[in-house]
This record gives sequence, structure tokens and C-alpha cells, in this order.
Amino acid sequence: MKAPGHQMILASAGSGKTYALTNRFVQLLAGGAAPERIVALTFTRKAAGEFFDEILKKLARAATEPAYARQLAREVDATALGPVDFLRLLRAVIDAMPRLSLGTLDGFFARIVRSFPLELGLSGDFEVMEESVARRERRRVLRRMFTAAGEPDDAQREFIEAFKRATFGVEEKRLARVLDGFLDRHAEKFLAAPESERWGEPAHIWPEGCGWLADAGRREQAAKTLRAAWPWAELNEKQRTRLEMFFLALPEWSPGAPLPDAVAYIVKNAFLVWDDLRRGRADFTLERKKIALDAGACAALVAVVSGIAGAELARRLEMTRGLFAVLRGYERNYHDSVRRLGRLTFADVQRLLLPAAGAPVLSGDEAGEARLLVDWRLDAKFDHWLLDEFQDTSFGQWSVLRNLIDEAVQDAEKRRSFFYVGDVKQAIFSWREGDPRLFREIFNHYNQAEPGMIAEGRLDQSWRSGPAVVAMVNRVFGDTAALREIVPASAADTWAREWREHVSAKPQPGYAELRHAEDEAGRFAETLRILREIEPLKRGLEVAVLVRKNDTAAALADYLRREGKLAAVAESDVPVAIDNPLTCALLALLRAAAHPGDSMAQEHLRMTPLGGLLEAEGMVSRDALTARLLAEIHTDGFAGTLEHWLRKLAPVIAEDAFSTERGRLLVEAAEAFDENGSRDVAEFLEFAERHAVRDADMAGVVRVMTIHKSKGLGFDLVLLPDLEGKTLAERRDGLAVQKAEDRSVEWVLELPAKLFYERDPVLAAHVTAAEADAAYESLCLLYVAMTRAKRAMIVITEPAGESVSRNFPKLLETALGETWSEGDPAWWRALPLIEKAPAPAETLGALAGGEAARVARLLSTTPSGTERATVGGRALFALSAGRAAAFGTAVHALLAAVEWKELQVATDWPAGGMEAEAVAEAQACLDAPALAEVWTRPSCDLAEVWRERAFEGVLDSVWVTGVFDRVVVERTVTGAVVRVTVYDFKTDRVEDTPEERTRVIARYARQLETYRKMAALLTGASLAQVGCALVLTAVRRRVELPPGADLAGSGERSG
Amino acid sequence: MPLPRLHVLPWDQPLVRSAAAWLSAGWSGKAPLDLSDRLVIVPTRQSGRRLREALAALAAVRGQAVFPPKVVLPEILATLEAPVAGLATAMEGQLAWVEVLRGISLDEFRDVFPVDPPARNFAWARRLATQLLRLQGTLAEAGLRIGDVVAVASAAGGGFPESARWRQLGELERRVDAALAARGLRDPQAAKIGFAKAPILPPGIARIHVIGTPDPLPLALSILEKHAARLPVDVLVHGPASEPVDALFDAWGRPRPDAWAARSVAPADFTQRVHLCADPAAQAARIVALARDYAAPDGLLAVGVADAEVLPPLENALTRAGLPAFNPEGRPRRRDGLYALLATLAAFAGEAGFEPAAALLRCPDVLAWLSVREGGAFSPSALLRELDELTARHLPPTLAAARAHAEEFPRVVPALAALAELQRALTAEAFPASAAAALTLIFGARRIDITTPLAGSAEAWTDALREAGTALAVFGASEWTLAEKWELVLQQFAESRQAAEKPPGALDLLGWLELPWEDAPHLVVAGFNDGSVPEAVVGDVFLPEALRVRLGLKTNAVRFARDAYLLAACGASRAAGGRLDLLLGRTSAAGDPRRPSRLLLQCADAELPARVARLFRSVETARPNLPWARAWKLHPRVSPPPARVSVTALKDYLACPFRFYLKHVLRMGRLDPSKAELDALDFGTLVHAALQRLGEAEALRDCTDAAVLRDFLLERFEIAARARYGADLTLPLVVQLESARQRLRAAAEVEARERAAGWRTERVEWPFEFPLGGLVVRGKIDRIDRHADGRVRVLDYKTSDTAKEPAKAHLRPVRTDDAAGPEWRVFNDVAGKARVWSDLQLPLYRRAVAPEWGDAVTCGYFNLPKAAGEAAVAEWADFSRELQAEAERCALGAATAIAAGVFWPPAELPAREDEDWAELFHQGAAASVEWEGRIA
Ligand code: SF4
Repeated sequence: MKAPGHQMILASAGSGKTYALTNRFVQLLAGGAAPERIVALTFTRKAAGEFFDEILKKLARAATEPAYARQLAREVDATALGPVDFLRLLRAVIDAMPRLSLGTLDGFFARIVRSFPLELGLSGDFEVMEESVARRERRRVLRRMFTAAGEPDDAQREFIEAFKRATFGVEEKRLARVLDGFLDRHAEKFLAAPESERWGEPAHIWPEGCGWLADAGRREQAAKTLRAAWPWAELNEKQRTRLEMFFLALPEWSPGAPLPDAVAYIVKNAFLVWDDLRRGRADFTLERKKIALDAGACAALVAVVSGIAGAELARRLEMTRGLFAVLRGYERNYHDSVRRLGRLTFADVQRLLLPAAGAPVLSGDEAGEARLLVDWRLDAKFDHWLLDEFQDTSFGQWSVLRNLIDEAVQDAEKRRSFFYVGDVKQAIFSWREGDPRLFREIFNHYNQAEPGMIAEGRLDQSWRSGPAVVAMVNRVFGDTAALREIVPASAADTWAREWREHVSAKPQPGYAELRHAEDEAGRFAETLRILREIEPLKRGLEVAVLVRKNDTAAALADYLRREGKLAAVAESDVPVAIDNPLTCALLALLRAAAHPGDSMAQEHLRMTPLGGLLEAEGMVSRDALTARLLAEIHTDGFAGTLEHWLRKLAPVIAEDAFSTERGRLLVEAAEAFDENGSRDVAEFLEFAERHAVRDADMAGVVRVMTIHKSKGLGFDLVLLPDLEGKTLAERRDGLAVQKAEDRSVEWVLELPAKLFYERDPVLAAHVTAAEADAAYESLCLLYVAMTRAKRAMIVITEPAGESVSRNFPKLLETALGETWSEGDPAWWRALPLIEKAPAPAETLGALAGGEAARVARLLSTTPSGTERATVGGRALFALSAGRAAAFGTAVHALLAAVEWKELQVATDWPAGGMEAEAVAEAQACLDAPALAEVWTRPSCDLAEVWRERAFEGVLDSVWVTGVFDRVVVERTVTGAVVRVTVYDFKTDRVEDTPEERTRVIARYARQLETYRKMAALLTGASLAQVGCALVLTAVRRRVELPPGADLAGSGERSG
Repeated sequence: MPLPRLHVLPWDQPLVRSAAAWLSAGWSGKAPLDLSDRLVIVPTRQSGRRLREALAALAAVRGQAVFPPKVVLPEILATLEAPVAGLATAMEGQLAWVEVLRGISLDEFRDVFPVDPPARNFAWARRLATQLLRLQGTLAEAGLRIGDVVAVASAAGGGFPESARWRQLGELERRVDAALAARGLRDPQAAKIGFAKAPILPPGIARIHVIGTPDPLPLALSILEKHAARLPVDVLVHGPASEPVDALFDAWGRPRPDAWAARSVAPADFTQRVHLCADPAAQAARIVALARDYAAPDGLLAVGVADAEVLPPLENALTRAGLPAFNPEGRPRRRDGLYALLATLAAFAGEAGFEPAAALLRCPDVLAWLSVREGGAFSPSALLRELDELTARHLPPTLAAARAHAEEFPRVVPALAALAELQRALTAEAFPASAAAALTLIFGARRIDITTPLAGSAEAWTDALREAGTALAVFGASEWTLAEKWELVLQQFAESRQAAEKPPGALDLLGWLELPWEDAPHLVVAGFNDGSVPEAVVGDVFLPEALRVRLGLKTNAVRFARDAYLLAACGASRAAGGRLDLLLGRTSAAGDPRRPSRLLLQCADAELPARVARLFRSVETARPNLPWARAWKLHPRVSPPPARVSVTALKDYLACPFRFYLKHVLRMGRLDPSKAELDALDFGTLVHAALQRLGEAEALRDCTDAAVLRDFLLERFEIAARARYGADLTLPLVVQLESARQRLRAAAEVEARERAAGWRTERVEWPFEFPLGGLVVRGKIDRIDRHADGRVRVLDYKTSDTAKEPAKAHLRPVRTDDAAGPEWRVFNDVAGKARVWSDLQLPLYRRAVAPEWGDAVTCGYFNLPKAAGEAAVAEWADFSRELQAEAERCALGAATAIAAGVFWPPAELPAREDEDWAELFHQGAAASVEWEGRIA
């Protein structure tokens, strides 16, 4: 087969990345690759699904359209192929469907872990938790940690100490909340670097030493010296006050807390002349006047400031170590009680495979020590690798796959291949560890070993955007000078290195503009104005409004609906259980029942139609509500209970499709919750309140979404009204995590204030790099936003004017000038308004002429099912309860072996398994004079006995199925029935009293009546000829049931 | 070898009726239809049921009844008539594995365990045991044991890459067998395999029929082969009458993979019968709509559910539409009420925490028990209310701690006593007697209808319990913790299924394998997606496909042939006069893409592209994105205004009159059931209490030594904290109390400074009230200080996270929406800027003290924020008489309005600032409510 070679493709937005990827797949197929030997991985299941669909559609089209077949054949370098061949490939892909490795990285990793649990130290199968489940697990772990009562043990003491250190100087009163925040922000960082020496360890941060730390303890003494050395005489009143305030405030300050203004002022000014101070002569600025300081004063000031900085750093180190210990304390608990039980998140799954964490290397070629041979267990041999959105691949993910891909790249026979595609300009997932630098590193790595090993391809032609849009993109992102003005030079240069001028392949009329509005309200209003003017929905245009945050999306969509009466949808995660009155009231119902003291819920119910409903149901008292609802939840689960109440509310919301749908979504959520069997109302409420549903892709609406969510999508018209914000170089808050070239964590530190870190070369370098990364990612974000439009894009910002913020508006203004436009502002006028008739709902339709084909369905019953009785809870739950049943079965089996007593020998009864007790009872029954008739052959001409005989029949239109214990049929010599006697054995422990017999009769009357009728039917006897008797084995007594003993009850049973 | 006789039941007729007819062939109808000498093998329990029903119906037509054949499933054949004595139960098997796995040296088994597990505890061993037992079960289907694998797999040639691993697995199995043998037990799978070599038939069986069973286990076939040597065996396949049967099926009626791999099996009128839906919910909606089209669906319509994911939404949608449905599979007991109780009991037995205790008290069965114990006066809602109060107030970590606080809560006392009794029952005896004792305690006084699900579940539970008792006795349970024992039994219970009876007229919801036996003329199959139909297994820890093939286990090709055949049969029997519809989802419920079943793409090449286009087209989501709509407006009742309000309540009124009404008139308040630590109020109360004591301590009145003050504060604090939270503290409390101490230490420093500066506390917690605008305003002043120079000040303690400035806390700038509000809230400050009152606390305190202390009193906060360094007294610096006058004007305005019952309109707050009321207000507070009271 022909190997197509290895390839890296840098594909700009809209340049047909999916097209290239699917073509590659087809090319491999055309070259003879078996579909199941191609691994194609991407990030979302949705993208993977679309990828597969595209391949099939491509092949299907090529199979039917010769012209297209020729085009595709050309594109995939297999000009010999025609429709017939493509049909063959199509069939091959379909046949291989279950064996395809075409999906997400997460899914692929999970598949590997599932196949090698023991090799990876798991104890068998595992479950990947949904996020909501993982969150619940976290809550439970915290609860368990919290409620471990009594004298705190060492681990707990350590935890408390750690917590105090982590939150030094601030007396946090809400532990749970603070801890939750820690975990949200830092848990992954801990797992990436679980070694204590990485956290707040000065030797790792400053291998050369940190001068300030040495001075940490000396600031008080130094302050005294400084006070003495200061040239007070030269100061004016204002300056003196300034300085006094400094000396007053300094002892009040505790490291870790913000510097008081009076202290910060002096420190700041000292840093301004820091080098002079260290040299021993400096002009220190105090209240806008310079004071000359001599060597003594300089030295003293240096010592004080250095002491302040040192103390601050020492505290941050301490806090970082405290934080580490807190995270470790939690993680230990979590690990023991969640992961070890096989409940993993996708991140856990990936971590199990990380070679850096000691996982065995994956291999397709050989197994061995520390190597897992994937082929055999996965039923797959991987020859070809296709990686999509490669800029979002994390170093960890790459390190898992690296060896498998290495084997493909190094394949001596060149039968195998590697292909990766993505756009480093769209790297907006660094918070998910996406690592765009990998793109080049890998390319360089292989090509250094063997030049030309991986070919580089570029796609810069936009099949999405028209010329106007592309012009704006080129203008903003091609202007390196402008970029350098706004973002750190290194970020601008990185950008410029991979930037190529875009070209539009869609020469359609369109428009792009930068315009201004005063404030947020103004930007929203302008958005609405544009939408009203263009009426894109009525013209059949897809339109999106892209914003920065989910909250903004929700607010703006709401605004457009309310003020503009537009069909606008926020494509964010909608908290469907709490965003509307209906489901809130249902949740209040549950809450009020389980927590009757919740006056909010109680009163809330009264304000809603549920209040009236409860009254109508006679549930006026709180007891009634509590008892009824808790019982419902207990037996039917939350989904069943909510469904039930929704049904009752149906008339109220009959006309309201929205609320009806919300109700349905709540039930759907409850179904998922019920899966795990919990009936805890508080837990459910917490789950429901957090439960969010992503509004699905919708046609015919204004889609409002975050830029992040818009990645990969395209729209005719795009509005960008939410680009305000702080500097583009703002690094993500939180801990500073310094990584080495190989992406291992070097150190972690909770950074001190800017005043300090910018004075420390190590920390300053970290922040500079982090800011450059942040700035680069900001550019990516804007690039993604500006490349979504097909025809038109309108950017609405507040005028940057004098503002010094290096933000998006400033960048746009620098590159484009105050306003800018290109194309035809009336581009949309040529598009007609269309009336779209709603598509008729598809229905299945009933079977034509169905009634004729109806099959009879019988109600069914078993005679023993008609037994009417209750049993005491004590007997039901006693350990001996089942024993009684087993005993009964044994006695039945023994007696079933008896044909006629005279033929029976005790040894006929097999002893095996039957307990002696049962044998004794059976024997006693055989011997009992009162029961002699049961076992004695009657003196008729022909006697027949049925023992444990099953029957099926229909009585009164009810299908009856059952087993006779013993029936004796007496016949004349001609076979005519004389008499039939039905015996039913009961092994209940009864007493031999008349009352007890009456009770037994009541209990079994209906059952025996059924036997009687069935015996009559089977033998052809009349009912009067059939006698029925219970044989009470415990008291060896036979109780006759006269016909019609249960007339009142007979036959009334229905299902 | 004698072969069975193969018969075709033409598939243009329903299988179940043809089968019944075939069985009754030659029956005169004069006597009962007696089939008791036949053994009939059918694929599923439900198909057996259908067959017996059909026989009964058939006989009933002639006024007769039936002595039915013995109907069994193929997997039963290997245990039919086999001796049961000495077989290990499932739990015994599990324990044997656990024992072996815990006992071995892993170094001897490095091909199975290349790395050490993180902990070789019971949980690890049990999970692994479960998996290995499953492996044994799968192998036994083909009559194999783990120990046979190497030989069989190698015999197939081509090398066997994992032979070392399997050899070691075989050794493990051997040791498990030995462990069982040492206790006189046998592995049931091994016993089955042994029995299959010399199977026995039930007495009286003269003929065997295998009917409509497309994939019997290989082990069952080997048994049948043996029987076939002695008596006639018939195999009945439901297939086309027009084609040679042995081309399509093998001698045992199994579809031949090669014959079905490419056969077109989808309904002929593809576009009319195959329906692409968005997701499971959309499929459910279609089915409900269809079922509604039928007046009485049962008997006309049956629904097959090929993908279990569709089942819950379908069941719920049918319920919502008022259409009863019936799933013969029953539901797993994990979803049973009794399971919830048992799981809570297990937690309660295993740990001392209070949480499971509280959870138990919310369980209806426990409430019923308490009701019996306590007699007529028992009120579940009152109990739960008090329980929540106790929890919120004392945050007890354990049941014992809770009981120590219970005397304040009279209804909780007996309930907790009952739980303590329950706990004794759970621990007094050995397991499982203890578990049984606990349940008899709870249910003892109740009578339970034996036909209810509870009775069935109780039986399943006691069965599992007894089995566990035996198993634990046999294997020695001393090393097991109580929690592990519970877990062992609960697991088995959870996996059992609760079968209910079919409600009359209910719509059948059937599994895919049941469908050939279903004869309703209209059949709809939902969830027709790849992976569900045809079923496919890819990748396995032990048995990858390549090995399955070698071992003769069920392979994907066999599954494909079976499913292709089943689809064809379902369609064929409805070709005339019936209808088969297939529904499939484009995505799963979670929105992940799903693929259509490959069976639907099994067609002539010419048709394939069109089918691909049709099945892979995008479909509109079923989830309509409807504009937000309001189900209803709230109708709060109208209550008369209060006669007295507190100063804090006035602040609420300023913020929003309507929320004031809800909070202070209707007394609405949220309760946090998952409260696990002090809230702001608790925290403040504790700190306040200590400070109050200090203010009252005459002996320390002139003390300015911070250390003494601190010791005093801490001592008082300790007393208050212990009284409220006891000696056993949970982790958050330890931290929080430490935080409070830290703040009190800071307070001591501040206090010492203030005293040194000449201040002395005159009054603490000084209550006041005065009339105002038709109301009485009341409050309590934290402290009143007097300076040596005669100045007086009122102070309020603030323990919020950040220090507060009095001016900022009381006044705010004007917002646009203030224009519509009452004018008394607004005034112009000295700089001429319009300001709005947001709190009146300190001015009203001043007013309250004025009669006694004059109007020159200053005011401020004693801040104790979380940054201990920022603790300080913050006086309201430029407070003036003018300001006081403005404040009083505002207070008068507010009081007058309250007295007049003016609570409307509400303030419109951004949602993030309105969390307390979020459940009431959506898209605007005013818009959410239909207010029937007075309007301003
Ligand atoms: S993470 Fe936990 S479950 Fe996973 S291997 Fe390590 S110990 Fe086992």
C-alpha cells in the first residue's frame, strides 16, 4: 500500500481543517488502509461525530456523483478511483463502525485504561464520573473529613495547621467555602506536582539564593536604626507627617496582608532609587521633594524595605506550603474513598497513563517491562494517526501518545503515518493545559532527526469569510507594529511568526465595521439596533452575538428577547431547575416536605398553584405533606415524584410550552440522579440547583454565546459587542506555577504583591513570561471571534480614547483607527425577506385498520397471587423468614413424591439436601390418621393422581397459570368423572383451633376456588363434583373448603 | 452424531402463535392439551410466558385448558435436575476469590499483576473477585474454565501472546477451587461444565423442542446434543418458508453469520419506517404521540427498547401522558425504596457521624416506626423541623453529641433514643443477625401486604442476608469490617430485580431479544443505534475479540447475524397487516453523537449512498428553545403590618419594602440543610457573647492590660462555645472557633488601647424601644462607652470579613431607580451630593440614647474583620446633627410607610445580589408577583 507520508498542517480559521482531515482519512482508505487501523482523535464528542459523518457523506456523494468522485480522487491523490471504488470504501467504513478509533482523546485514553486496569494499578473496572457526580463526591469527602469528630487525630491536626498557614493573617470563618475555592482553583495543580518540595520551597525558586529572605526577621530593628539615621531636620511638616505615619503603620502590618498606604508609599519610593540606595547615596522623594540620604540612612532604609519584602516573601512561601498541605490532606481522603473504588474523572484517567507519573509506555510493537502492548487487548492495530485541534493538545496528552506515534513515524517500511492539524492562532484553551508550543516542537524534533520527515502544510484561504471580513482580520492581525504596541513584544513576535495573510475564497458581498458605543448599555442597544435593522432571521441568515462571559450571554440574550422581542438564545449552560417559577415551586415542594421548618419553601408553596393543589389533595397539614411526599420519593424516586406532581399541574401550564419543557428537563435531571439510588432530598436539591443544560444548536434564532463556545462555528453575521476589559497581558490569577522546558513543574508560589515581585528577578521573569502567554492567548481569542463571520461582522467597542488600558478596544483602534469599515454597509438589502412555514411535525401514525389486527391480551393471574394476606414485619424481615419458605418447598417436594401411601417407602425420599425436619414433617403427614384419605387410593374404578402438576387455562377471560399440589380424580370404568379432590399443602405454622382454621380459609379461599374451577375444566367435571381441601402440614389436618366459600371475592381480582 | 430435526415456522405469521399451533398439532380438543412430556427451550423468560399464554388461549377456544410443557431457558439446561448440594453460592465464590487474592504473593503472579495495587485491602480484592467471577461465567458459556484457556487458545495456532498471564490466572483459579474444596464446596460453573458431560432430564420428558432461540449457549448445545442421542429433539426456527432453511440457519437454528452478514434486513419501505430523532427524549415523545393515537394500545402496539438509555425518559413520558406501561424486566432493586433505607442503615451502622442518623429520620419507614413507638401524638413534620433546628444550632458531629443537645427539642429526644436503640441492635449481635434485628425493629410492628413490592424486596433482602451469613460463617469473617459485610449484601440486593405485575391495558416495553415473541401487529423499536443493535463488544481486559474467536465464545459476527435475523423476523411477521417502525437517536441524552445501527445500512449497494445521506442528516433538536415564559405569578397572602420593628428590619425595608414584607411579616426564611459549619450569625453571636461578658465584668472595668482582657475573653468564649457545640468539634468548627479566638485576641488589644485612651464601657446589650410613625422601633445596643472627658459613644460589633466604615454602611449614592422611590430616603449632603440611606442603625441608636445621654453622643463600629491587624474602633467621623435629623426623617418615613402597609413595589436587584430570594423572583421581582395589598 501507498503511505502518504507524515504531515503537519497549520490551518487558519475557516480554511477547511475538517475538509483536510476527512480528505486525509479518505486518502488513507484509498491507499488501502483498513478503517480500523486509523486513529483519528479530537477534543469533543460532537466534533468526532461530525468528523465521522463528513467522511461518510463524502464517500456517499463520491459514490453517486461521478464529477464529485473525480474531484475527490484528485484531492486524495488517487485519480484511478471512481464511484464504484468510493462505494466500496463507504461499505468498508460502515462495516468497521464498531471497531473504529475515531473519537475523543478522553475516550481513547479511557479505552486503554479499561483494557489494562491491573497493569495501571486499578483493581478492575472503573467508572468515569460526570462532573456533577464528581462534585457530589467531593462534597461527600469534605463532609466525611469534617464530621470526623472527637479529638482531632494527627492527620486532622496537620490539616488544621495547614489551613491556618494557607490562610495566614486572615481569620477565615467559612472553612467549607474557602476549601471549596482552593479545590476549584488548585486541585489540578496539586495533582500535576504532588511533591512537597515544589511548593513554596525557596531553594527551588531561587537556586542562587534570595537576599530578601535573609532580611525577613530584621525589619523592626532596622526601623529603629532608620528612625535614628533619618535626616529629620531637613523635613518640612508634611514630609515629617508622612514619615511618622510610616513608622506608626509599620508595626501594625502583618506580612501577607496588604501593605498599609503609609508603608507602601515609602517602599515604592525606595524602590524608585533602589540602586542608589544600595550604593549609599540617594535622593529620596518624599512629598514631591527630594531628600538626600547619606550612607547610614541609605543602608537603614535598604534594610527596612528588604526586611518588609523578605517578610512578605517568607509569608507567601509559608502560605504556599500550607496550601500544599491542605490539598494533600484532602487528596488523600479523596483518593482513598473515591478513586480507589474505581470512580475516576477523565483527568484521573489521563493521569494514570502519564509516563512522567510512572505509567508504562504504550506500544503497538512490543510488550515488555513498563510497556503495554495495546494491539491485542484493544483488538486493534494502529497504523495511522490523525490528530485534530492539535494546538489544544496538552503536553500530558502528547506524552501518553508519543511512543505510539513515534512507532508510526519511525516505521522502517513507511507503511504508517502521522498527521496533525490545528491552528496555533486559535489556542484559547491554555486553562485546560492546551499547549500550542507543541506544534512546532514536535515538527522540529522529527525533522531534526531526519529533515523532511514531516511535511509542513498551510491553509490560509478562508472558505468561510468574505473579503470584507478577511480584510479586517488581516488589518488587525497582520499589523505587527500595532500588536507590539499593545502586547508584550515576545507575544507579538510569536504571533507574527506563524501569521500569514488570509485570502477569502468566498467573493460574496459583505461588510465589516468597527463602531463605538458609550457604555455597556449602549453596546447592548447598538446590538439590538443592528439586528432590528438587518432582520437577519427573516432573511434566513445565521447570526451570532459573541461575548466574553456566560453571564453576559445570558443577560444580553435576555435583553434582546425582552426589549427587542427577538428570538435570542444564550448558548450557555442554563440552570434549568431554578430559572423559572414552575421548577422552583417543585423544588420548594420537596424542600418543604423534607425540611418542614423551611418557612421560605412553605410560604412559597402557598403563593403558587401548588398551594391550592395540596389543599385539594387534603394535604393541608405539614404532617400530611411530609408523610406523603417522603413516601413518594422513597418508593418512586425523585423523577417519579416530580413527574407525578407535574401531571397534577398540567392543567395550569397546559398552554405554556416553555414551562412544560422545563418540567420535563427537571424530570430528566432527576432520572440521572435517581440512578445512584440516593433519596436524600438535600442532596437532590443541591444537585438540581447546579444542574445546567446546554441549549442545543438552534436554527432560526439569534445565538448569543461566548467566544470560546463559538470556536469551530461560522455565521453569516457576527456582532462583537463585548470586547471591553483589562489589559490583554493580564495573567490568570492564582498561584504562580513555573514550568520547566519539559513541562514539569519547577515551583509553585502564591505570588506577593506586584510591588515586590517586580523587584525580584526570578518572580519578575515568571510574571513576564506568564503575561506574554496571556497576551498571546488574548490575541487568539480575538482572532477566533473575528474569524467566525461569513458575510458581515460588526465590532462595537467603547471608544478607547485616552484610556491607557492595553485592551481589545485599544488594539482595534491602534490597528484600524477610530472607526473602520470595508465592504457594502447595505449588503443585506439584496437578500429577500422570506416567510418560513414551520415544518410539519413528523409523526409515526397508527396502523391503518389496526383494530382488525388486534391480538387478544389476557389478564393474568396465578392462584397463589390471589392469596389475601398481610404479614407481620417481624416475620417478614426475620432471618428465619426465608428458612420457612425453604422448609415449605422441601415438604412440598417430599409430599409430591407420594403417589399412594401404600406404595410409599420412607427411603424413597432422597435425603440429600432435605432437612431432617422436613422429612419428619412429611412422614408425620403420611402417618396422620386425619390425613389418611389424602394418600389413600380411592375405591373407584379408575383413580388418577396428579402431583405437583402445572396447568394453564383461561377462566373468566383471565389467564390462570399455576401448579396443583395434589389432585385425585375418580372415574368410572368408562372414564366418566365421579369426583375430583384438590389438595393444597400449606406448611404455615398454624395452631389447631377453629379460629385459626377460619382465618386460613379466609386467606386461601380465592386461591382454592380457582383450583376448583381449573380442575373442573381440566377433568370435565362439574363444579359440584370438585372438592377442595387444604392440608395443614404443621397440625396434620385437612380443612375442607365448601364451594363458593369466597363468593364475595371470587373473580373480582383484576390485575 | 444424531442431529435435531429442523423445522421452519414461516415468519409471515407471528412466532408465538405458530409455535403454540405446532405444539398442539394432532390435539383433538376433547381432553386437556397435555404437553407435560415435552421440554421446550425458549430464549427468554418473557418468551416462555408468551408461549404459555398462547397455549392457554388456544386451548380456551375449545373450552379446554393445558398441562403445559416444561419451558426453560438454554442456560437452565446445565442445572436442570443437577444436584445442588455442595455448590458454592455467589457470595461464597466471591469470598473464596477474596481469600486467595489477599493471600498470594504477587511476585508469583507478575503477569497478572505487573504492578502492585495501591492497597491490597478487601475493597480491592472484592472488586477484582467480581471481575474474575464474571470471566469464569463467560468462559463457562462455552464449557471452559480459566485453566483451559491456554490449551484451547494455543490449539487454534498462530501463537498466543498472553499465555503466561493465563497460566497464572489458571493457577489462581486452581487455588480458589482448592479454597472451596477445603470447605466442602464446588464452584458452580465447574459443576455445570461437569454436569454437561452427563446431563439428566426431568422425569417423564419424551421430547425436546428448541423454539425461536437464535443464540443458545454453546454449553447448552453440548447438553442438547447428548439428549438428542436418546430422544427426539426438534429445532423450530422462525424463518422464511420460501428459502432453504439450512442455508440460513445451522442445525441448532442459529443464523449462519455468512448468510446474514450482507442480507438486507431493514423494513422495505425504509423512508417511511425508519425515523431519525434527535435524542432519547425525542424518541419518547414520538412513541407517546403514537400511543395516544390508539384508543387502547395494548394488543395493537408494543414497544421494543433496544437501548436502555431510552427507557427512563420513555417510562416517564408515558406516565406523564397517563398511559400505563409495563417493563417485564422489572427494575433493579438499587432504585427501590428499601435499598435507600438499607444503604442509609449501612452508613449508620458503619460510622458514628450524625448525618446518616438524620437521613434515617427522613426515611418514611423509620418515621412509621417512630409513629408506632410514640403513639398518637407523633408528628413527623414537627420532628423534622426540630431536627433541622438542632442541627443548625449545634452542628452535632455524632448521634451522641446530638443527644446531648436534644433536651431543648422535646420531639427529637425520643427519636434519637430510638436511633440509639437501633444502633445497639446494629452492633450488639454479629452480622447478619444484627442487620435482621435492626430491620425487625423498624418493621416489627407493621403488617405488610404480601403482594406489595416491599414484601418482595424484603424477601430478596433476607435471602441475600442468609446467604451472606452462611458464606461469612464458612470463610471466617473476623477480618471483615461491619461496613464491608453490609456492602457485600447490599451489592447483591441492589443487583437483583424487582418484577411487578402488568397493569391492565399497559403498554409492553420489551428488550430487543424479546421482540420475536411479541405478536402485537404494530411494533415500534426505539434506540436503534449501533452498539445497541447490533450489540458489539470491543476490547476487553481478558477476552478481546481475537481470543473470543479462538475460544469459541460469542463473537461480534455471531451477534451481528443474530440481530440481523431478529430484525428481519420482526419485519417479516408484520409484512402483511402489521407495521414495524424503527426509531433511532442522533445523540445520547447527554448530547453525545450516536450512530445509526449498521443493520439499517445493510442494503443493496445502489441504495447505500441514499441511506447514508438519510441516516446521517442533521435533525432539528427535540429540545425546543422556547422563549422564556412565566408559568404563573406568585400570589402572596396579604397580612397586616407589624406593630413593632427592629432597627435591622428597618434596614431591610430600606433595601426593599417587599422583601421586608416577606421576611418580617410572612417570616420567610431559608434553612440550609447541609449546614456544616457556623454561619455569619452564629459566628457573630459567639464573639458577641464573650465581648458582652467583658463589658459586664465590673472587676475588670479599669483593666487596661491586653493580656488580662484577652484571657478573660477567651475564657468566656470557651464557655459559650462549649455550651453550644460541646466538646467534640468537627473540623470546620475547630478552624472557625480558632478564627474567632484570633479575632477576640485582636479585640483585646483594641480594647486595651481604647481603655488606655480613656474609654470605659457603661452599658452592654442595652435594649431600647421608642414609638415612631405609628410603630414601635426596637433594638439592642452592643455597647455604650463613656470617656473620662465626658464624651459618650455607642458602638456596634462587626465581625464581617472586612472592616466597615459607618458612613459607607449607612449611605450610598443615588441610583437611577431611586427616582421612583419615596423622597424621604434621599437628602443632599454637605457637599450638595444626593445620598440615600441604606441603614439607620447608628443614628437610631443615638436617638435611643438621647433621652439619657444627650445628643452629643458619637457612634461607630468595633470592627473585628478577618485580617486581625485591621481590628479597630471605627467612629463615624463627621457625623452631624443635620445628618441625625435626616436619618430620623428617613426613619419616620419608613416607619409610617410600614405602619400603612406599604410594601410594594419591590426593588429590582441584580440576581447575584439577590440570592436569598432567587427562588421567588425570575426576570424581575415585580413581574414575578401579583400583589394584592396596598401599592405605594
Ligand atoms: S489513583 Fe487510586 S485508584 Fe488509581 S491507581 Fe492510584 S490508588 Fe489506584
